[in-house]
Parts: sequence; C-alpha cells; structure tokens
Amino acid sequence: MDPTSSNLGKMLLEEITPVVMILRTPLVEESCRKNGLSFIQMIQPFSNFNNIDVPVRTASDQPYRLHQFKLRLHYASDICQPNVEAAEEHLKEVVTRASDNDLTDLNSDPPQLESLLRSAESESQSSRFQIFNKELIRASSFSEHEAFDHPVACLLVVSSKDDRPVNKFVDFFNTNQFPSLLNNGAMDPKILKYYLLIHDNQDGTSENATNVVSEMRGTFGASDCRMLCINSAENGSKDWQDNPWSACNSDALLGQDLGCFLNMDDLDEIKDLMQELSSKHIIPHMEQKVRVLNQQVSATRKGFRNQIKNLWWRKGKEDTPDAPTGTMYTFSSIESQIRVLGDYAFMLRDYELALSNYRLLSTDYKLDKAWKRYAGVQEMMALTYFMLDQSRKDAEYCMENSFSTYLKLGSSGQRNATRCGLWWTEMLKARDQYKEAASVYFRISNEEPSLHAAVMLEQASYCYLLSKPPMLRKYGFHLVLSGNRYYISDQRKHAIRAYRSALSVYKGNAWRYINDHVHYHIGKWYAVLGIHETAIKHMMLVLACGHQSIATQELFFRDFLQIVQKLGKTFEVFRLQLPVISMPSLKVIFEDHRTYASSAAVDVKESLWKSLEEDLVPSIPIMRTNWLESQPKKKYKDSNICVAGEAIKVDLEFKNPLKISLSVSGVSLICQLSEKTDSVDSEVGDQHATDVDGHLSTSVLQNDLELKKLKSSWELNSCNSSIVLSEVDFTLGGCEKTKVHLAVTPQLEGVLNIVGVRWKLSGSTVGYHNFDAILEKKRVKGKRRTRKSPSSNLKFTVIKSLPKLEGSIINMPERAYAGELRLVVLELRNQSKYPVKNLKMKISHPRFLYPGSFEDIEAKFPSCLEKQIDCKLKGLHASSIQLSSNLLFSFPEDVTIQGGTTFSWPLWLRAASPGSIPLYISIYYEMENVSSDMRYRTLRIHYNIEVLPSLDVSVQINPSPSRLSEFLVRMDIVNKTGSESFQLKQLSFVGCEWEISSLPPNGTACTSQLLIAGQALSSFFKLKKCDKSTCEPTTSSLSTLVGSDVSFGPEAGVLFDISRTPLADFHRYERLHQEKAEEGDPSNIDFILIAQPQESIGGSSAPARLFCHHACHCSIASQIPISWRMDGPQALHHDFSSSFCEIGLCMTIHNSSDYVVSVRIHTPGPQSSTGQLSDATGIAQSPRLAGNQEGWYDVSLVNDIKVTSDVMGTLSGKPASLDSTAPYIWSASSSTKIEVGPMSSTKVPLQVSLFSPGTYNLSNYNLHWSLLLPSNKDGLDRDQVRQTSGTIQGHSYYLTVLQSP
Amino acid sequence: MASTACFIIVSRNDIPIYEAEVGSAVKKEEAAHQHQFILHAALDIVQDLAWTTSAMFLKAVDRFNDLVVSVYVTAGHTRLMLLHDSRNEDGIKSFFQEVHELYIKILLNPLYLPGSRITSSHFDTKVRALARKYL
Repeated sequence: MDPTSSNLGKMLLEEITPVVMILRTPLVEESCRKNGLSFIQMIQPFSNFNNIDVPVRTASDQPYRLHQFKLRLHYASDICQPNVEAAEEHLKEVVTRASDNDLTDLNSDPPQLESLLRSAESESQSSRFQIFNKELIRASSFSEHEAFDHPVACLLVVSSKDDRPVNKFVDFFNTNQFPSLLNNGAMDPKILKYYLLIHDNQDGTSENATNVVSEMRGTFGASDCRMLCINSAENGSKDWQDNPWSACNSDALLGQDLGCFLNMDDLDEIKDLMQELSSKHIIPHMEQKVRVLNQQVSATRKGFRNQIKNLWWRKGKEDTPDAPTGTMYTFSSIESQIRVLGDYAFMLRDYELALSNYRLLSTDYKLDKAWKRYAGVQEMMALTYFMLDQSRKDAEYCMENSFSTYLKLGSSGQRNATRCGLWWTEMLKARDQYKEAASVYFRISNEEPSLHAAVMLEQASYCYLLSKPPMLRKYGFHLVLSGNRYYISDQRKHAIRAYRSALSVYKGNAWRYINDHVHYHIGKWYAVLGIHETAIKHMMLVLACGHQSIATQELFFRDFLQIVQKLGKTFEVFRLQLPVISMPSLKVIFEDHRTYASSAAVDVKESLWKSLEEDLVPSIPIMRTNWLESQPKKKYKDSNICVAGEAIKVDLEFKNPLKISLSVSGVSLICQLSEKTDSVDSEVGDQHATDVDGHLSTSVLQNDLELKKLKSSWELNSCNSSIVLSEVDFTLGGCEKTKVHLAVTPQLEGVLNIVGVRWKLSGSTVGYHNFDAILEKKRVKGKRRTRKSPSSNLKFTVIKSLPKLEGSIINMPERAYAGELRLVVLELRNQSKYPVKNLKMKISHPRFLYPGSFEDIEAKFPSCLEKQIDCKLKGLHASSIQLSSNLLFSFPEDVTIQGGTTFSWPLWLRAASPGSIPLYISIYYEMENVSSDMRYRTLRIHYNIEVLPSLDVSVQINPSPSRLSEFLVRMDIVNKTGSESFQLKQLSFVGCEWEISSLPPNGTACTSQLLIAGQALSSFFKLKKCDKSTCEPTTSSLSTLVGSDVSFGPEAGVLFDISRTPLADFHRYERLHQEKAEEGDPSNIDFILIAQPQESIGGSSAPARLFCHHACHCSIASQIPISWRMDGPQALHHDFSSSFCEIGLCMTIHNSSDYVVSVRIHTPGPQSSTGQLSDATGIAQSPRLAGNQEGWYDVSLVNDIKVTSDVMGTLSGKPASLDSTAPYIWSASSSTKIEVGPMSSTKVPLQVSLFSPGTYNLSNYNLHWSLLLPSNKDGLDRDQVRQTSGTIQGHSYYLTVLQSP
Repeated sequence: MASTACFIIVSRNDIPIYEAEVGSAVKKEEAAHQHQFILHAALDIVQDLAWTTSAMFLKAVDRFNDLVVSVYVTAGHTRLMLLHDSRNEDGIKSFFQEVHELYIKILLNPLYLPGSRITSSHFDTKVRALARKYL
C-alpha cells in the first residue's frame, strides 16, 4: 500500500508542510473583509497545489520532481503555542457542533448489529473524528522543539491605501511583530521575505499602486515584490463558477456571499501569486537551505573524526542537569540545524535524508537527555519510516518510544503525546492493525480530559469493530466507556448515541449487570433530554432487577416512577415486569354443577371428589342427555359452564422480584362477554387469525396489538354492567409472593372469555398481562397434553342463574382428642328463589362423621345418650346400610329447602383415631321446577380435623386360673394427653354371651376413676359366661348391641346406652376398622370405654364432652389351648411318726381349642424334687412371660406404675414364707399322657407324698401339650403364628400339713 | 488475598453461569457492572487466544487499568475467568485447576443441565474457600 494514499499519508502531506508567516496592515484586512473573508481565507484555497511540477534536487544532487505541494498560512500573531484553555474550549465547540449536526434520530430504535458492521468503515472515517483529530493535533503546533512548524517564509502585505507603503514594510521589522519563536532564538530570524502590495480596485485605479511597487522593487529587490489587485468586480457580478471557498469547510463562513467582489482576473492573479511564491521562492529556498545545512552537518558531524569528537564532547557535558525543555539549543546550534535539515527534507519529501538526520539527532538528544526533543525526533523518525514504507517494527518502536517519552514529561508533553498517539493510531490503521490502534486510543484516553477521552474511546471502539474478526464485546465496552465520559463532559446526545450503539452488542445476553447499567443510563439520559417515552422503554427493562442490591433497586424504581410522573399520564405497559405474575399459578375456580362450600374444598383433587360422588350423582351419559345434548352445537365441549350471577374466581400469584416493597392497586381481570354465541365464534376466529399474524410480524408489533386489545376490552368492561369485576389492592414486601383472588361475575347469559389481568403499580403505571398467549405456548410445548385442563380453560359458557346451596358445619372443631364424641350441625342455605329437593349426602369417613337423626338436633348432649328406662332399640334404619369406607345418606324424601331458607341436620362427630383427618362431604341436590340446562348440583364440603391422642386403651384377657370358663380382663388405660384429665365413666362389654363385672365384686372397678394427664391405670374385670336365655333372640342381629356395663367410681352414675344410634353406629365402624383375620370368631369380644374430661364434670359452661373408646376384637382365646385346675385339700393333719403322708390330688384339664390336644403331665423324680425349686421356676417362667406379653405395648411413662404382669398370681417370685425344706415326692406315675378332646375337660388323678409337716408349694411339675392337628393343612395355614405345642410350668399350689396331735 | 477479585464462569454460549466477588476489598456498588463489562470484553481476546495454545490456563489475557483478567478454558470451552489485581500467577493457576475439578463434579450431577446457572451453595462455599487459599 502506498503510504501517501493512506489516511496518515494524506494527513502528513497536509499538516507537515512549510509555514508561511503573514504580516499585514489593518487596511489590507479591511479590503479583504468586503468579500467576507480574511486575507488568509482569501488566499488559502490557492495555497494548495495539486498539479504543479517543480524540479528539486536532493542534497546529493539527485533530481526529482514535486507534483503536490501545500503551504500553511498563518498570521504572525498566531504563530505561537496555542493557549491550553482556548484549545480546550475550541475542541468542546467542535464536539458540540458534531452532536448538533448528528442526524440520527434519537427516537428511533437502536441500530442493528449488521448495519453497524456495514457502516463501521465510513463511521470510523467520519468527518466528526477527522475534524476532532485535526484540531487536537493543531493544539500542539508551533512548539519550539520542532522545526516543521517554524515559518519558512514571511509574506509582508501592505495595502496601497496605506500612506507610504514602503515605510510600512520597514515598520514591520521595527515594531517587532515577529512571534516569540524568532525572537527567543529558537529559529533563524533570517527568513525568506516576500513583499506584497494589495490594491483595492474600488478605491481607484492602480496607478498609484504601480508606483509604489516599483519603489518597493527598488528597495527590497525586484523579484521579491509584487502587487495584487482585488475587488475588481462590481457588486454581485461574479463571473466564476465554482466557489473555491466552499471547499474550505469553515462553517462560520457558510451562507455568506463569499468573494463577491472578486472577478476572474483577481482569482487568476491570486493563483499566480501563490504559485510563484511556492515554486519560485519557497521551494528553491528550502532546497538551498537543505543543501547548505547538509554541507554543514557533513562537515561537523559526519566522518569518523567528527563522531569521536562528538562523543567526547557529549561525554564532557554529561554532568549538566536535565533540561527537558531544551532551551540550550538555539537556531545556530548544530542540533537545531540538523533538525531543520531533517524537517525541510521531510517537507520536500526527501525522506532518506530526513531519516538519516533524525537518526543522528536522536542519539544526540538522548545523550543530552533532552527528552522532549528526543521524543519529537523519534516521532518524526517513525513518520519517516512510515512514509518510506520501511521497517514497520522500527516505526512502531519509535512511536512507542516517543509516546512514552512524552508521557514521562508530564503535562508539558501531554499535548504532544496525544498528537503522537494519533499519528500512531493512524499508522496502525493504515496497516490494518486495528486492535493495536484501539489500545493506543485507549492509552491516549487515559491521559486526556474526559471529553477528549470520550472521542478517543469511541474511535477505539470503532477500531475494534473494524478488526478482523470484529471484536464486538470490546466494541461495546469501549462505547460504554466513551458514553460515560461524554456524559461527564455534558455531551448527552453523544452519550446516548454511544450507549445505543453498544446496546446492539449487549442485546439479549445474560450479563445482567451490564444490561441493567446500559438500559438504566440510556433511560435516564433520555429523560434528561425530555424524551420520556423512550426513556421509559429502557427503564422498564431494568425494573425486574432482583440480583441488584437494595439501594440500586430503589434507585431504579424511583427513577422509573419519576420518569413516569414526568410523562404526565398513566403509563400503560403490556407485560409489566413488576410484580411478576407466575402463570403456572393461574387457577380458575368456577362452579358448574359442582359447587364448593369453601376454598379448602376447591383445593381437593377432582378425582377424590369424583370417586366420592360415584354413586351419588347420575352417571355421565345421563347428564349429557339431560342438558348437553339439548344444546344445538358441540362447541361447548371445550368451554366450561358457569352460572350467571355466580362468581368465577381466578387465583393468580404475584411475586415481587425486588427487595423493596411495591404497592399494587386495582388488580382486576379483563373479560369479554359476548351475548350471542355466533358472534363469539367469529371473534374467536379473528383472534386466532391475528395471533398467526402476530407470530409472523415482529414481537414488538404483536405486543402493541395485544396491549391495544386488552385496553379496549378493559374499557368495555368498565362501562359494561353485565360483568362485575372485583378489584384487589395489596402491598408486596421484598421478595414476597401473594396469591390474589380475583373474581368475575357475569350477569347475563352468553360466552365469557377471561382475557387478561390489569393492575396499577404505585398508582401511576398500569400493567396488562394477557392469559391466552401463555396457554397457546403451553399447548405448543406439551404435545402430549393436547387436552387442556379445565382450570386453564378460560372460556366459559354462561347459563341461566340457578339455585345454589351454601353449606357449612357449625361448631366443627379444628382439633379434638381421640375418642371425643360431639354433636355438630350441618347447615345448608339456599340463597336463591327456587327450592331444591332430593337431598343426598355422602361422607368419606363415617368412622368420624355420622349423620344423626333429625330429633337429635334438639337433644341435650351428652345426657341424650344416657340409658333410659324405656330403652327402645334405635338405629335400626342404619342397619341395612352396607358398611363401607364411604357412607351414602339420603335425607328424608320430604326434605326440600325453600328459597332463602336454612336447613339444619345433626351430625355426630367422633374423633376415632389420632392424626390429621380430612373429611369430605358431598351433598347432592336437585332443582325443582327450573327449566334449566342443569338439573342437579353438588355441594362439596371439606374439613380437616386434627385429632390428638388421648386415652389409650388396651385389654388383655387371660383365663382365670381358679375357674374354668371365667376370664380375667385387665384393662390398661394410659392418658396420653398433655393436660387433660379424664373421669372414667363406664366400661361396656358388647355382646350377650358374656357378662362383665368388676373384679372386687363390690361394684367399683378401681379406687380412682380420675386419670390425670400422663398417668396410666390398670383395672381388672371378670368375664363370665352368662347363661341368660334372654339374649338369645337378639344375637341373630349383629347390629344390635346388647351388652353389660360396669360403672367406674363408687357412686353408681347414670350409664350410657351403647345400643343407641351414635355409639352403636360408631362401634360398628370401629369394628370394621379394627377388623382382624379371624372375623366371626365367637371368642372375640368388644369393649367400649366411656370417659368424660375432668372439667366438664365440674359443671362448667363449656359444652359437655364425651369420650368413647372402642377396643374391638379382643380375643379370649389365649395362645395356650389348655387350662387346668388343681383340686385337693389345702390343709390337713397327719401323724408323721407313723408314716409319711400320701395326698391325692385331682387335676382338671380343659381344652379350649378346636383340636384334640395331647397333654403330658410331668412330675419330677425324687432327686430333683426339692422345695426350693422356686428359683428355677422363676427363671423358667421368663420365656413364657415374654411370650405372653406379645401384643402388649410398652408402657413407659414417667411415673411408671409397676405393671403387674402376673395376673394369675401363679408365678409369684420367691415364696418368702417357704420355711419347709423337707422334700416331697410326686408319687404315682412320673409322667401321665392323656388326650383331651376339643372344647372338653378331663380329670387326672395325682398323688404326692410328704415326709414332714410344713407348707409346700406343689408347682414343680410341667405340662407338655401339643395340638393334634388334622391331616389337611387348612387349619394350619390359616394361622401360622399359633403355637402347636409347648410346655407350661405348674401353678403354685400351697399345701399345709401339720403334725397331727 | 487480592483486594479485588471477581470470579466468573462463562458457559460455551457466553452466558455467565456463576459469579462471585471474591476480593477482600469492600464491595462497591458500581463494581459489579464494571467487572462484568471488563470480563465480557475480555471474552473477545479469549476467543482468539484459546485456539493458539493447547494449555487450558491462558494466563493473563487482558487488562483494564490495573485489573488483569486471567482465563482458564476447559475442554468443553467453558471459560473460568478471574479479574484480579494481584500478580500471583501460580496461585491463580492452582485456583483454576481446583475450580475446574469442582466444576466437573457439578457436571457429573445428572440433574445439572450443562450451560445452566450453577446454584449449588456447596460449590459456592468451596470456590470461596479456594479463593481465600490461593488468591
């Protein structure tokens, strides 16, 4: 690539050119002003020579030709270092002007990335940057350490109107108008001079002027003087076509009628003048100077001798202090001369010569530590390398060197550093090293005030965009940095432009902090500019910033509200992000034939209700024939049914993503109610059509469309009385979620469509959200679920209003103790005008809840349960009901609930078992004389009751050791409550085969009938087979509960009747629940324990409570099928002096099993038979004990009552009173084996021989038994756990024998 | 420990899946977005650099003023990026290697969808502990 055609090359050819200093009198300026131009402006266009042909010779006499040349013209007064503040001001003006000229519409959408990439080239080359860079470079011109800014020639201009013009020329030298550069010796004052006389043709003829010129020629030399006639034209009669000044794009001049007094001759004359000045004077002069200086330099510095000398001389100066300003070099010093030589050579494009001189000079300056000059030379070297297109590395090295050296100088070198940096970036750009260029821009930006830095950073960003491949993220980042700087320096439009461009990079990425920052700032700046609509659009995007800190969230939110306020109207947004609506939470609750008593009932799964209502409601096909088929069209299938006048509730969850609280008001649904079905169809069709369109068009358009649709629907709603909408206000704290219950009540028949929701945030912003789009999405996503669930279907067919029952259970407790029995009342209200009939009810847990009879409602509880004298059997109507887990109860036929009345029905509640128990009740009813689509409805009631454990009853039955067909019943009662104390009232035994009585036969079961919290109690009863024949007829009916009761406590209180309806019914269900494998076993018996809490007995105002506990299926059959009794004398006298005593005993063995049992009685021989066997038996008993204890729970209480397990009293520990050690012998056979038939008894004679008087415990015998099972295995299979054989230690049997007197 | 350090894991789709400010300096309000900007911009450099070497640890790839970006590119082109102001290259390398191991463990979780945000608090604790140890 030709360096001269690059951007930098052009810049260098333009900027590093000979400077012509101009001195003029005020009258000259005056003449020129007539044309609206200053003198320099007038001649400026002609100082640029694009096609000249000047022959030049290099220092070594090589001829070449210059085809292009340019002169820079400056007034003498301008040739000085520009003032820093003024330069700053000027640059600011340049930037501001650029922003005003910026044509991009700030209201339009941010640019797309593709278009940015396309326009990157032109954008980075845009005049905006060019102008700025040029101005920035100019700000560092005319420094003394660089010779190319030093004037090469001086143009002295005097007007012919001046009196004695020749004297004026002389005056220029006297009045010391020269710039300081010449005066302080930085440059050679002997400068090429050219004398020019300006003649204004409007002031008269040029005769006088020609005289002056000839005089001048005499004084200053013939070739150096010239006359220029201007303003020859008449006013406005321009005879030239293209305006040369239009090219010099100085904005201030535009619009004026430039050069109106100049005619073609004038222009030609000016052109001629400049051409002559450059080609005949300046270029030859420079050439001459180059030649002279080169000779000087060669003489003093070139050659081996000079080099040594130079080195030696430099070394001698080493001790001199650093002088970075380098004042010690005057124009006559060899260093300055080399610099001038180099610069002149550069300007004459003899780059080889320039480079060799710069090289020479740079080592000198380095040795001298004249850093600024050194840097300047390095800079020029780099540029020379560039122009030569040689050694890129060297060029870059020199630039880097120069840049950093300038930076090291601090503020004095800063301007130069910037200029150097700009050269450098241009150089890198020319070589397509955009990435490096960008980093250089970035380095410059670090040193510059914010405004300059902003421009630099923006250029850097474009460099990143232009690099291959484009580095978009860097581009975005630098644009943001730049925008930030622009904003700091009050250039808002630039700032916005930068951020907007950056947006294209960050659009749609997941870097949340970045997005928030960019959108927030754009929004804020737009607001400052007063473009609120766009500002809000951007602010909206940062609102849902849950990841930010509280302070930032508050800031964002506050600014958003401020902007909305400034907008001056309520701002309406489609899908406002605050608060967030969680769409999956959308739940529609509507009542068709299914109605709900409470919201709790709604939450229950539909399948649960369905299974409960299975045989309650007419089956579905019947339902269809009833009302659905009467409808002419099928389309209702996919819409829900609702009833006019009844509210459709929509539950929607709002979530606050922020940590600050939000106030939301006026939340309401948006609905469409169309009265005619046909119109709905078309509308729905339309909607689908637009949906399809929407998908095709951009999402923005679709959103606008949706918003418009929602808005219009909302406006329709608000002025329409056919829909009643609820409004909800709430405040959401930080990160909170709220479920909002919204309702819509259609008042007319038709088709209702719930479209969306609308809410107001902080009273100023209105958010809209539509529902159907989400459903649409859902459908696309879940292909498997083609059928929409009814709760998400938002289309309803509204039918004529119908009666509706509302129901509740009065005084339903939330928690109860297990066993608690209560009377609760079901209350049904009919709010409509029409009566309902055919009521039926289904209860899910009849064990807990049981319908009473209508009379119970006035009954006094619990006294109504007490036994009455005229005890008649009730509850027979229930006996026919099949016992199942659900209970279907039909109200009497004549029950109808008239419109506006309330109907009550008693229910018995018994908390059967501890836990959290859900109770479901479904009530079916039919409408009377309503010719409606719907014939029946159901009311679903749901309660949850928490049941706490209270008394724990366990029963153990053992056969009585003393009597056959008598059993001892041990009842362990543990009070598991925390605080309640119970008064035990009554134990009832269900059944008529047995009779129960308390063990001490005086009537009271135990000493204390009070059971304090946490205590346990054991009481004993006796169970005896009763032979009463009165029971016989009733035993056939299982449901009739006849039994015997035992009252606790000394005063025989009123007993409760267990055969009456609630107790008996509950008992049945309890039996069903506690059912065991051996159902129908006659040996299984049931007990009911009735207790009352302590405080209710005290006659307090609290409602009386009654507890009943059912222990069912207690088996009287123990594991051991046999029981025996030892009969014989207890005490007798015997004369041991005569003989030992032989005593005959009789053992009666009873077999209570269904099988034949073989029993072997083993009596030990004389060796082992000692009276002190009790220890051994004590040990032997333990495994059996453990076996017996199975099924007993572990009563581990704090105040542990010693549970005496030896109920039978047979296995007491050590017999302490055993004073006799004398042995006894089982006489007769030591082992007897007999077989006992099922359910029969056998007697076995035994004999024992005693040798001394004393008391004996005859318990050291064993009974081995084994079941003789039948050969078929059925019996065995039925109950595997049952033992088939075993060994039992004998009961203790005390025998006292005294020496007979 | 470095006074400023911001650790971020960028998925292969250029989405940050884990972010942690692990510096000991008091967290400044505007630092969060600044760090994101720098790290995001550094991705451009990583994109070029990752294919020039077979090493996973790319050392310092980018700088912004006195903040340096060190990057570790996993085989799956997940980038572990650390913005720091200390010059402890060995420590950073060890840090990256150990975090890489943790990240692999996360990947092994069958319930973790590669490229989704890492929400495991255990991971977070471990990373912070490693930062304390190495940085």
